[in-house]
Amino acid sequence: MSKIQDTVLKRQDENWREDERDHRRVRAITNGVKNPGRPSVGNVKKVLETAVLVGSDSEEVRRKLAQHRETGSWAQGRVEYAFYKILLSMLLVAYACVRYAQYEYNRVKILVLNLAYNPSNTPQLIRQDVLKLPKLPKRLAAILETKPDGDVGGGVGGVLNDGSELVAWSVSAGIKHLILYDHDGHLKRNVDDFRSNVFHKLSKFYDPSNVPKFAVRVPQWNKVYFNTPGTETGEARKVAIEISLLSNRDGRETIIDLTKTMAELCAHNEMKLSDITMKLIDSELTQLVGHEPDLLLYFGPSLDLQGFPPWHIRLTEFYWEQDNDQVTYAVFIRGLKKYASCKVNVGK
Amino acid sequence: MSDTNSFPGLPQAFNFLKNLFSHALRSSDNVPQHVGLIMDGNRRWAKRKHVEVKEGHNAGFHSMGRALELCYEAGVKTATVFAFSIENYKRSAAEVDSLMNLARSGIRQVVQNGEMAEKFGIRIRVIGDRRLLSEDVMREVETAEEITKNNKRAVLNICFPYTGRDELLHSIKANVNRALAGEIEATEIDEKQVDDFLYTAGSPPLDLLIRTSGVTRLSDFLLWQVSRRGVVIEFVDCLWPDFGSRQMAWILLKYAYNRTYRAHDPDFEEEADCGTTTNRGKKSI
Repeated sequence: MSKIQDTVLKRQDENWREDERDHRRVRAITNGVKNPGRPSVGNVKKVLETAVLVGSDSEEVRRKLAQHRETGSWAQGRVEYAFYKILLSMLLVAYACVRYAQYEYNRVKILVLNLAYNPSNTPQLIRQDVLKLPKLPKRLAAILETKPDGDVGGGVGGVLNDGSELVAWSVSAGIKHLILYDHDGHLKRNVDDFRSNVFHKLSKFYDPSNVPKFAVRVPQWNKVYFNTPGTETGEARKVAIEISLLSNRDGRETIIDLTKTMAELCAHNEMKLSDITMKLIDSELTQLVGHEPDLLLYFGPSLDLQGFPPWHIRLTEFYWEQDNDQVTYAVFIRGLKKYASCKVNVGK
Repeated sequence: MSDTNSFPGLPQAFNFLKNLFSHALRSSDNVPQHVGLIMDGNRRWAKRKHVEVKEGHNAGFHSMGRALELCYEAGVKTATVFAFSIENYKRSAAEVDSLMNLARSGIRQVVQNGEMAEKFGIRIRVIGDRRLLSEDVMREVETAEEITKNNKRAVLNICFPYTGRDELLHSIKANVNRALAGEIEATEIDEKQVDDFLYTAGSPPLDLLIRTSGVTRLSDFLLWQVSRRGVVIEFVDCLWPDFGSRQMAWILLKYAYNRTYRAHDPDFEEEADCGTTTNRGKKSI
């Protein structure tokens, strides 16, 4: 069924060029700014204003009010409604207080743990950490987020840096496949920068004369790049790690492209409806996007899959830490530890 | 929680509080429209309490009642619960049987004397690959759907037997079939068309997913719906039979707080205006 793949890839490629939206796309929502868990008096005030002053749009309330108006007990309905609004704001304030304490606790915890252990740039230490674990994920995935340009580690550069750091840790840990996902596709659009970034990071970790080889795969364009630009020799094709770069485009839209293609093929009698099975779709999507990862790391404050390919998260283990917003080694290794300690039993 | 108290008046007081809470939440207008529940941990609970697995599933059923009651009171329109995975057929025959029995009696109970269905006007839908159900279960399912089909206020989707990939396959096939029959051009197939032929079609988009027992996997539940940007995923660290109104209330409050906060965020509005995440509008982040 390589015909299916060809068609889907062609379609993706066309779309990629046409898709104006990709260029207009606003930067991704980021942790720091959007984190409601970083409460301030101003935030609480805002929340209260919204809660109390913005009228309810719900069908229920409107109907209720209308009913009351008809029966002449309009005032009573109003009072009742106001009462609930006040109660609601009290609840929200209480929640904000608890949340504030929780947030501070989590932040301090993450900070202390980071300070306590951070074997930067030393593959031997990472290796030792990993050797203690009974099992390692074969395929590791990570969702990266773009932070605002002004922040430390923000903008596209920040994503590239986070990505290459993850590559270096994974190489040191001995993970052979890494999937990097960012919603807007910054990584794949800057694939050459990313490759040289990874190279620099790896040469800090390893002896510069013996930097591990790597391959960067962009499934959407069906392309594989080896090492840094300009060094793609035949010799270099034995790699220590394969990195797949995914974006929102590889998720739902690829599944839709696949559906379209199959519909066309069926219409031209080149395949039958009964040919469409779980196995076929699975193998096609594996070819088009990649394999299902075993562990998915998320470096944001609360889990949001952001359009990660839905077919590929069936049994994937998720790991994230509440209120964390940085890509750090401590989170990485704790994710691996968590993965090592859990057992999967499908259906049982 | 409420039914274990013997102190006079306490259950009533508890109910009163619950009512007050859900009405307050409802007035916030930031209640999830569609909640997904993975009710995990019934068997571990039974093991821990040294009772039969069947008892564990029973306790889980009551726990579901409590959680759903609060959800519907607070204004949730649709709840989707993962009752039985297609993979569950791998379990021992006795357990599959007891699960089937439980589902059958559960459905009957909800329909006949459970005040819940009437009180909230819940329409029950059993979704999934129903060809795998045995005939007597199927009859029960059909009766339940028939009796509750006129209830408009809220929907309870029972996934039975279901997997997310199977659902996606179903929708893909349905769309290909439609293209073949000439109802739609192949090039017109888009996200909405796929959405419309999922088992959950007709329900509002999923806003919140809750899984208990500390397992952080989806286990093939609502894959397509959950991966969408902005869906809140809560993994709770208690076994399902221990999951009560309190935990549910906390999650709903958290959800309402975050949404209320976000509704006020100027950056956030900007993103919504640009229509990058088209179908969910301002709820998309």
